[in-house]
Amino acid sequence: MSRILNVVRLQLVNKQTWVWIPLIVLGSALALSIVIYAMIPSDGPKYGGAGQAPLWYFFALGLQALTLTFPFSQALSVTRREFFLGTLLTAIGGALLLTAMFLLGGWIEDVTHGWGVNGYVFRLPWVWESGPLAAALTYFTLALFLFLVGFTGATIFKRAGALAIAVVGVGVGAVLVGVVFVITRFELWGQVGAGLAGLGALGLALWGLVAIAVLAGISYLVLRRAIP
Amino acid sequence: MTAVIEVSNLAKRYREKLALDNVSLSIQPDTIYGLLGRNGAGKTTLMSILTAQNFATSGDVRVFGENPYENAHVLSRVCFVRESQKYPDDAAPIHALRAARLFFPNWDQQLADRLADEFQLPMKRRIKKLSRGQLSAVGVIIGLASRAEVTFFDEPYLGLDAVARQIFYDRLLEDYVEHPRTIILSSHLIDEVANLIERVIVIDDGRILLDEDTDAVRGRASTVVGDAAAVDAWTAGREILHREALGRVASATVLGRLTPEDRAGIVDAGLDLAPVSLQQLIVRLTQRSGDDAPAASPLAESHGEPLSLTKEVR
Amino acid sequence: MIDEGRPLFLQIAEAIEDSIVDGTLAEDAQAPSTNELAAFYRINPATAAKGVAMLTDKGVLVKRRGIGMFVAVGARDILLRERRTAFADRFIDPLLAEARTLGLGEDDLAALLRERAALAPTTARTEGNRA
Repeated sequence: MSRILNVVRLQLVNKQTWVWIPLIVLGSALALSIVIYAMIPSDGPKYGGAGQAPLWYFFALGLQALTLTFPFSQALSVTRREFFLGTLLTAIGGALLLTAMFLLGGWIEDVTHGWGVNGYVFRLPWVWESGPLAAALTYFTLALFLFLVGFTGATIFKRAGALAIAVVGVGVGAVLVGVVFVITRFELWGQVGAGLAGLGALGLALWGLVAIAVLAGISYLVLRRAIP
Repeated sequence: MTAVIEVSNLAKRYREKLALDNVSLSIQPDTIYGLLGRNGAGKTTLMSILTAQNFATSGDVRVFGENPYENAHVLSRVCFVRESQKYPDDAAPIHALRAARLFFPNWDQQLADRLADEFQLPMKRRIKKLSRGQLSAVGVIIGLASRAEVTFFDEPYLGLDAVARQIFYDRLLEDYVEHPRTIILSSHLIDEVANLIERVIVIDDGRILLDEDTDAVRGRASTVVGDAAAVDAWTAGREILHREALGRVASATVLGRLTPEDRAGIVDAGLDLAPVSLQQLIVRLTQRSGDDAPAASPLAESHGEPLSLTKEVR
Repeated sequence: MIDEGRPLFLQIAEAIEDSIVDGTLAEDAQAPSTNELAAFYRINPATAAKGVAMLTDKGVLVKRRGIGMFVAVGARDILLRERRTAFADRFIDPLLAEARTLGLGEDDLAALLRERAALAPTTARTEGNRA
């Protein structure tokens, strides 16, 4: 167990990657949004997607957590299992921290009525409709999910090369296009929309956890045969 | 003594190439081994497989009696510093050493600090910005300060100048004397390490050519130089490793210990005798094994045993 | 200093023998330890140990339990005797053989020897003079 915790410390050697850049991404996205909101003359509440920015960064983080640190971990005689669990733990920690900041931001927006300009980056009604805990879970799940997408992709690349990841990427894209095609062809958008709305952010988050488990499993299995 | 590493019939095949071919060896504890061979001979592949960083196609590897794959109990006692080791982007040597300290139970921080000083390593500069020599120094320090029971050095002194290399050899020997352990040093700078290594393993084209005590190998070949006809006359019937000629002067390297009669014969023929260093011997051996097709060479492996360098019948 | 062609441990042993013969290492004095030898010559300690073991077998070095390796009393004599025999094998026998072919008898040889000895400057024993 202590070796797994030491992998967390190993990952955190990259302070820029794990701490500073996400903070900068979040901070600047927020600042920009507030400035823009201040400039918009409308009086009604304004909602923006700046809160997404650090989430997408978690995808990049997932990539880097493997590519930057896996080879060195092998030199330190760390097993692939220890590396995987330690890295996952670090990602969970990072996602928790981000979620905490998200909650904090939401609370501040609530109290200041949208930073004084009626502009909302964190407290998006659709996300918060089931309450702050559900909002937190949604945000956390999204962050971790994106991290694992990046991590799994990087692992496949490490194990099998550029061609493999291209094939996988194209394959996944094809499946998505296929699904969209089917839905459109059979005019199921109404049902899909209703279903998603019924699910709500919370429901989506729970499905997200399933996706996370699946990705974690895949990346672990691929990692077991990866060469630094 | 029970071997620390046992390799049986190890093979590693890549699509077009057989990187390791029926490799079998046995590494004893508390010994310094030299794993020698040309670039691309299979040294790094072998060491990667032994440390579970790479995987065998077939064959068996036991480290401390167990399979090293995903085996933290075994791997924490092993250290493999690669020739071109990748470090985390933002890391500076101080971070890398701090990280190494987390994972190697025998880590000696004092030794690490002292070595960093001697190699004049800028501890806070990003590893990305270090020179090739400084990068090697980081690897060397990790390898030495880890005090791992089995430590591999994969030509980590590339980029180090002669002074730094000598520092490495001296500290290695010093620390080995104080804390005996198993060290496997791969190199193509054979003469530099010849005095450090107790046992020589020569690998060529994925096969083990030689696996013997260094002293047994030393003095096993000699070079006679002089008039070409006289050289050929004297070397007739002997195992010739290499022959070259310039005009009427020829130089031939023969295998086999020289008896006093041999020496007298050389003097009588007006020939000169030159010693053959370990490096020259190994170079000639690997050149020759490259020239001959394996089946044609009279010294080709029989029953998978390494080549014998002795003329005498075993 | 270290010769390529001969086993290292032999050369180490010879170096120790040299220092005993020329007196730098006195009888009954403590001999350098294996580790000291390894560090000084920059060689593997196992090789140094082999050299020391060989000298112990010859009776030149003796191990005192708990303290270390010492030069045996009488070691110098053993070595001188050994070297004189080697000297005779190496130089005297061929000398005699060559002299015979030139028709020089023993007395002629002795006279030549004395004549040349008178001419040659007396040089101090130089270390490392191993042809």
